[in-house]
Amino acid sequence: MSKDLKFLVVDDFSTMRRIIKNLLHDLGYPNVAEADDGKTALPMLQAGSYDFLITDWNMPGMPGLDLIKAVRADTKLAKMPVLMLTAEAKREQIIEAAQAGVNGYVIKPFTAETLKEKLDKILGPGK
Amino acid sequence: MEEAPQATFGNGRSEANMSSFAVLKLEYGACVEALGEALRSEDESAFFAAVDHIVHMREPGMITELRKLTGDLQQALERFSIESRLADIAENDIPDARARLTHVIRMTDEAAHRTLDLVEQSGPLAERTSREASVLLESLAAFRDRAPGTQGFEGVVRAVDAYAPIVRSMEAFLPSARADSELIRKNLAEVLLAQGYQDLTGQIIRSVMKLVGELESALSNLAQLSGDVVEHASMGGESGAGHGPVVPGVTRGEVASGQTDVDALLSGLGM
Repeated sequence: MSKDLKFLVVDDFSTMRRIIKNLLHDLGYPNVAEADDGKTALPMLQAGSYDFLITDWNMPGMPGLDLIKAVRADTKLAKMPVLMLTAEAKREQIIEAAQAGVNGYVIKPFTAETLKEKLDKILGPGK
Repeated sequence: MEEAPQATFGNGRSEANMSSFAVLKLEYGACVEALGEALRSEDESAFFAAVDHIVHMREPGMITELRKLTGDLQQALERFSIESRLADIAENDIPDARARLTHVIRMTDEAAHRTLDLVEQSGPLAERTSREASVLLESLAAFRDRAPGTQGFEGVVRAVDAYAPIVRSMEAFLPSARADSELIRKNLAEVLLAQGYQDLTGQIIRSVMKLVGELESALSNLAQLSGDVVEHASMGGESGAGHGPVVPGVTRGEVASGQTDVDALLSGLGM
């Protein structure tokens, strides 16, 4: 069980970051850092050794979709698992996110079970 | 009514003049006759109808112009009243609405953090109670496993000796379990109270919605007066910026109704 995975949670609402952080903690992932938009998150990702990125879409500064595109364009980060956790639910947006290279897409409001299910699916068995 | 236009006057008018007068006679003759008839028969409504008809024949454009002028004046007055209300909305009501919405964000933020604080505080308490109860249960189980071997007076003494630390642990555990449970219960009651923000913010949002409705009708009235076609403004049109949460009745286009829809769409794309 690699529960020492390092997560970065990016959301402009501090309450949502806390909720995700608590859920990750309950799922056995205590190692979680936070950022409030893509602009803050990207240098953190480039500097730190993160294993997993969870990002919102609609954020001031740099939206989550742009962050994902930047992550995929960075050779060091290109393979990082990314879960999009957002209230954006338009069909074309979900397709756009898939094309940008997300590994999973969860729409808000979400349940702890959905988050666990997507994490397990992305991380594979035994993670 | 159909009088012969050949009437002649011995006053030296040219033939052309005479024929133009004949035209006038044709145009007005019937009206004048109707006017005379109305006078004779003292028919007031017929009289005024004939007068109106003659006035209308004499100044066909004037009434239309007057009507247009009145319309323009009315429109200008309406526009003035709409524009002064719009100015009032822009100067006072919009900043006020912005302050109200900022307050809504602050209230929801505080309520969410208060709730999260209480949840974070209660979790470890419940965990501790559960953990200590497990330890006690294990001790009890271990004691029971040994118990069948206790026979005779010495056996009973040994059993009592073995049981004594379990009793001491229980004495330590029960007051702390009670205190933790009471605190959790108190925290849950506070979580309940913290949800009151929904009522308060709902009322504020409703008042802002009322203002938005008023603004919408003032703008659409103004657009109608100007005869302009107002293109529908869409929110969040910027590429990559997102549209925000789905608002029923507002969000256009195909929208996933839930996580199942999202999963189906993504698996259709091979994810």
